[in-house]
This record gives sequence, C-alpha cells and structure tokens, in this order.
Amino acid sequence: MHAARRKAFNSVNAASLARWIAITASLAITGLIYVYLSLQLHDLGDRKKALENELTSVRAQNEVASAQIAALTSRSAMQRRLKEGYLKMIPISEHNIVRMNAPARPPEEDALQPIANKRAGK
Amino acid sequence: MKWNSRIRCALVCLGFTALFSTFSFRLVYLQMIKHDEYAGLAAEKHVYKQAIYAERGSILDANNEILAHNIPVETMVADATHLNNREALIPVLHEALKIPIRELSEKLEGDRRYIVLKREVPEAVAVALKEKLRAQNLHGIYFERDSTRMYPNGSMLCHVIGFTDFEHRGIQGVESSMEEYLHGQDGYRYIEHNRAGQEMVLYRGQERAPRNGYQVHLTIDLNLQNIVENEIDAAMREYTPQKATIILMRPRTGEILAMANRPHFDLNQRSETKPEEMKNRAIDMMEPGSTFKIVSAAAALNEHKVRPDTTIFCENGLWNFGGRPLHDHKAYGELSVRDILVKSSNIGAAKLAISVGEQKFYEYIRRFGFGERTGIELPGEIGGVIRPPQSWSRISITRIPMGHEVAVTPLQMTSAMATIANDGKLVTPRIVKSITGEDGRTVSTFSPVVLRQVISPETAAEIGDALRGVVSDRGTAAAAAVPGFTISGKTGTAQKVDPKGGYEHGKYVVSFTGYLPSEHPEFVGLVVLDDAHTTKPELNYGGLVAGPIFSRIAEKAARYLNLEPHEELGKLPAAGRVALTNPSRR
Repeated sequence: MHAARRKAFNSVNAASLARWIAITASLAITGLIYVYLSLQLHDLGDRKKALENELTSVRAQNEVASAQIAALTSRSAMQRRLKEGYLKMIPISEHNIVRMNAPARPPEEDALQPIANKRAGK
Repeated sequence: MKWNSRIRCALVCLGFTALFSTFSFRLVYLQMIKHDEYAGLAAEKHVYKQAIYAERGSILDANNEILAHNIPVETMVADATHLNNREALIPVLHEALKIPIRELSEKLEGDRRYIVLKREVPEAVAVALKEKLRAQNLHGIYFERDSTRMYPNGSMLCHVIGFTDFEHRGIQGVESSMEEYLHGQDGYRYIEHNRAGQEMVLYRGQERAPRNGYQVHLTIDLNLQNIVENEIDAAMREYTPQKATIILMRPRTGEILAMANRPHFDLNQRSETKPEEMKNRAIDMMEPGSTFKIVSAAAALNEHKVRPDTTIFCENGLWNFGGRPLHDHKAYGELSVRDILVKSSNIGAAKLAISVGEQKFYEYIRRFGFGERTGIELPGEIGGVIRPPQSWSRISITRIPMGHEVAVTPLQMTSAMATIANDGKLVTPRIVKSITGEDGRTVSTFSPVVLRQVISPETAAEIGDALRGVVSDRGTAAAAAVPGFTISGKTGTAQKVDPKGGYEHGKYVVSFTGYLPSEHPEFVGLVVLDDAHTTKPELNYGGLVAGPIFSRIAEKAARYLNLEPHEELGKLPAAGRVALTNPSRR
C-alpha cells in the first residue's frame, strides 16, 4: 500500500514550474504595464486637451484685450475723448518748434523702377 | 463501396480543410483586397477632419496703426438630440443671448443635430453661459470658435479699407483686393471621438497647422487722413454738397497718403448702409472741368507749338467755333500760354488743343493716364470715358480741353497733376505699401512704378511755373495759398451733367488740385465738391470753395510733414490756428 501510494505521486519539476511561473508573471506584469501605460497615455491626452483649451481661451482673451486696446487707442476714440473733454491738447507755440531736416528715406523705398505696369489698363 | 474509417476520416479532414480555406480566403479578401474600403467606412464612424481656421491678417497704416483687426467670438449651436432639459434651457439662453423665447422654442423643436442659435457671441458672454450651463447640468449646447472683423476707426477710411462678408471674405476695398494675402490658409487635424463624443487625443491623426493671413500695410498716413477727414466734414457742414472727395498723394512714389469721400458709412455698423454711401468716389467718374486744361497746355508746350510766353488771342470772351459759341467767364484779349492757365481761359485752352491737332491731343490725354484704370489696389476702379477722335464732333476739340465731353476719376486727375509735379513722369498710384508675416518678416514690398514719361521735364517745369500763378492774386485760386510755401495748382468748375441729357442749371462740380512746395513737391492734393451750396451763386467756383479747403489741408499737412517754410513767403501761422478748422465754420 505504502509502495503503491508512493507510485501514485507525480514528481514536480521545480525548475520547470518556476520557469512557467516566471513566464506567466512576466506576461501578467507586461499586460499590467501595458494597461497602465495606455491609461496614462489617455490621461495625458486628456490633460493635453485641457491645456490646449486653456491656451485657446487665454489666446482668445488676449485677442479680445488687444482688440479693446486698438479700439480705445484708435484715432476716432481719441478724438471722441478730446471732444468730450477727457483729453486736452495744448498747441505748441511757434518759438518752441525746432525744425530739423527730415531723415532721408532709404533709397530703395523711393527708387523709381522703370518697368511696365501690368496691372494698369486691365 | 464500403466506408471504412480511413475514408471517413479523410472526408472529414477534407471538409474541414475546405471550410477553413473558405474562411481563409474570406479573411484575405477582407483584410487585403477590401482593406481600404472597410478601413474608410470604419474611419467615417469615428474619425473626423477638424478644421483649424486661419486668422485673417490685419490692415495697418504707414505708421503701423491698426485699421482692421480680428476679435474672437463664438457661434452657438445646439444638437437637439443631446438636449436633456429644454424647459430649463430656454430661459437660460433667452437671458444670455436676448433671443425671444418663442424663437428659441421653434429652433429647438424636433431632433435636428445642428441648429445655429446665434453667431458672433462675444467671448465674455460665451464663457459666462458655459459656466451657467455646466452649473445647471444642461447638455446639448456647443460653442464653435469664430472671429469677426473690427475696425477701430469706424467710418474713417471706410471706402479704402472695405469690409468682409459672412464667410470672412473681403468684398470691398483693400479687404477685397488683398484677399489672397489677408485670408491665410486653414489647417486641419484628423481626430477620433469616443462614444460620448469626446476627442481621444491619443488617436490624433494627420495634422496641418493653419497659416494665418499676412498683414497689409497701407501707404495711408492716419495723421494726414485725420486732417483730411476733419476738413471734408467741415466742408460738408458749410457747403452741404451731394458728394465730396479729397485725395493726398506723394508724387515721387505714387503713394496715396489720404483718401476721403462723403457720403460715407461706419464699417462696424453696415447693416443700414445704403449702396450709394459705399461707393468710393475717388475711383468713380466725374467731369473734370478746367483742371483738365493742364493737358492741352502740356501737349502744346511739349510739341513745341507754343512757348509759355507765346500770346494767343482769346476773342474777347466769345468765340464762335463750328457754329457754336464758346465763352470765357471774363473777356480776355491777348493772353500768354501761362496766363491761359492762370486765368483759366476756355478759348485759350481750346486754341492750344487745336494747335496740337485732334489725334495728338487725344494721344496726350491717354498718355496722362485718362481713359484707363490707374491700377491702384482698390476694386471697382473705373477707367473713365475718353472717346477716340473718330467719334468727336466738330466742336469736341474746343470742349474737351476745358474738361467737357470726358469723364475721369478724381484719382486720375490727381495722378495727372502728380505727373506735372514729378518732372513729367507718370507714376502708378498705389495704396498698399508692403505685406508682412505675423512675425514681421516682409513678404512683399510694392515699389513705385514709373509708367511713362508723359512730357519732358522742361515742359513739366513750365506748366508748374504757370500753375504757380494760379495760386496768386492774379489767378483763380488765390484762396488756396499757404503762407510760407509756393503752391502750384488748378481750379475746376464744371456744370453737372444731367442724366436726362445736357447740363443741370446752377449745379456745379467744383474742384482744386495742386501740389506743395512747387520747387520740390512733397504732396499733391485734390479737393472735389459735387453740388456745393454757397450763399451766393457767383461764389460757387473751384477757387473759392475747393481752394480754401486745399489751403487748410496743405497748411496742416506741411506742418505735420515738417516742411520748412520760406521766410520770404511769410511765416506759417501759429499752431493754434491750424489745430482746428476755421471755428466760425462749425
């Protein structure tokens, strides 16, 4: 009986078992890492999107502000304020004006180019 | 035949082989042959091409002052299938957007997926509304980023700048002519949505960044434009003309420094603007009147038919030519060519044209640029009407020199005067100076273009000298003088053409065109008033109406451009006087 029972036990190959456990564990870890990284990527994507939205919003606010600055500093606005009395201009008296020779314009700007004008006569 | 086990096994194997082969073939067919088709169909379900809109470029003046700019706004749309609480949503939208409740209810009825609720919602309103919708957990309302055009100076320079349409495409003025530069190029991005409709950034596909529109720099100087606008407004108040146009141009380069028209309109409030108010009169037709006499005088002098001091008999004010009388406004006897311009004699100008001959005179008219578009970067420019000699009547040669039977644009007239100021060289007028990128890098520069040498420099100097006499006590435009400067100019008083035929009685187009300083012209100016109303009819002359306006503009412009006055010609008046137009005229 004793001998028969002993026969019924299968021997376990510890090395093989360890190998399989290691393979399975590494596969499981790889899978988990993959899932974790995928989730991280999704999370980073969402954060990127949120930052993009924030950036767009800040840019829009900036544009609104520059448009307001342009409107408030425009000539029409200045004149309106001048008319309303918010601003006052004091004329410079003649004896306070020092006339200086106007700086020469860069030659290429005024240079005449004797070429036919293709646009004319259309 | 006896079916033994081996045959049965073989048959089963064969069956399986056939079955799997069919599957394999189907798989290959789907994965390889039909791959693109099905991949496309799948992508249609999840992948979207998201447009990234380019920003329209700004328009700036010569000193980089902003004339047209973008302001971000949002378009509010609704997806009726996503609405979770219509009853709660409608009052919120009504309060924020001021849309009537009935209109909102009608719009949000049914199950349409794209309903535009309101365009051009200001950024601040959109942000506040988004917060409110989030707080009340209301779904189905979406905001699309957009922008609208803003013109900080309102009506100033409205005909030059123009405006854009609903789709941000320029339809008038520089907005239209420079469309290809201003518009930019939209970008795109392929994105994937999840089931909730949110973008999955991880699966972003191909992407192309937008290229924003270039910035267009005009030759217009807002300081000079402001001077012109103030004076044209003062003229409208004082003379209540139907229309008015003022142009300032730099003769050497053809740069337009200022251009104003009346009637005009506010670029930011165009909804109630009449088409007549949108017309740029500077490139529209008018009868030039006596300002056109410079052409006949220039032709005769350039062809060496006469010299400036050659005398011509002016028939004592009445000359019958071709069976029709030709009058002068005063009876002149012998007048030198110079004095024909100074006194603006119609008979003298007619005789100068006759001395040149019909064909040659016509050639000079065309050489001065009349009858063809100048090529300025403004849409809708008219070439004018200059008939060839073959279709002239017997008396045309006597009427055209005084500006009858022709139609020219104020810009052509300015350009012709600039030719005299520019030693006889016709330079193409231009209003765009340069194109730059967002980073300030120059993309294109518009250089001055000399079209042709119309008359010799000597002839131009002779005409300029004669025109100096016009702005003197002897001439027709003494009121156009500016203390401290020499001015060459010519007045024009043309009877208005009746659309039914002939001329309208008592209605005139008065004008003055001239340049300053005569020796080294810095700018050419033109003032045109159509149907001005004066206290007395005998005061309705170019020299008396348009001349003083030119004088005030020239005085202020000379001060602004820091032109040095001649001591011997009198001092420039104190700055206080030129800071405002004549206060009594207000």
